[in-house]
Amino acid sequence: MRAASLANYFVAGCATSSLLGWVASLHPMSFRAIAFLTAASFILWGLCWLLDFSVSSWLKIPVATLQALLVAALAMAVIGAGVLLCS
Amino acid sequence: MQLKMWVLTGAAVTLWLAPLVALNKRIGWHKSMQGLSLCGAVACAVGGGNIARKLADQAEIEALKLRAVKADVEDEIATEVYVSRTQRQQEAEAILAPSNAEMEEVRERLEALYKPEPSKPAEPLVQPLNQPDDNALAVEEETFTSLNLTKNQAIELIQKLRSELNQTQTIEKLWECKKGGSEAWKRAYAQFKSLMDE
Repeated sequence: MRAASLANYFVAGCATSSLLGWVASLHPMSFRAIAFLTAASFILWGLCWLLDFSVSSWLKIPVATLQALLVAALAMAVIGAGVLLCS
Repeated sequence: MQLKMWVLTGAAVTLWLAPLVALNKRIGWHKSMQGLSLCGAVACAVGGGNIARKLADQAEIEALKLRAVKADVEDEIATEVYVSRTQRQQEAEAILAPSNAEMEEVRERLEALYKPEPSKPAEPLVQPLNQPDDNALAVEEETFTSLNLTKNQAIELIQKLRSELNQTQTIEKLWECKKGGSEAWKRAYAQFKSLMDE
């Protein structure tokens, strides 16, 4: 059940990424907004990788869990965007 | 609950992939359907994830309960074993270390068993001396005195007694009769005389 739960949340992340891409395809302004949001998220993702110990103590979770979440977020974004672009 | 979770998971994957693959982005209502299906996919995925998390938590709680029950049973068994062993040990100690009264009783019994008995006086022979023996020779020999002594024995005994007793006392002692005109006295006197003559 724990694996099913994680898989469902992963699918939700992928669908969210595709939805953001779909929103970006609606209008140039929305594309800019999504691009800005994506850039900000990527910077934040990189900072989390650099400051993983500080962030993990701030979020009160283990470092390994934080790193797993960061990898999963990147995978969800890549898969969701890839599905949208390739369809 | 579990079926609902699997249905939601399947719906999420389907709503995520199927419209993007099947519908055309250039057609307006197709694009709208893609957006709606993506929103539905996110909702279904989150709902399925929440249900799966609840089920996982319940399974963990059940596992904890099972472990607690097992631990209780093991603890109860261990306690019973400990109590039983302690009880047996106490019983063994009680058997090995009896009370003072029991010790005193045992000591008295042992003393009674091993106490040397006072020497009893030798019991007189039940049978008088020189009783006829079945295995003896059939030759009859004359006996004297009330003790059925042979002639030599009687003479020897009379000689010993004569140093302390007079004739009358010796006859009374050996033939167990009183001096007088009785038949026993006469026979005893005759035997005495015959012995003294020889």
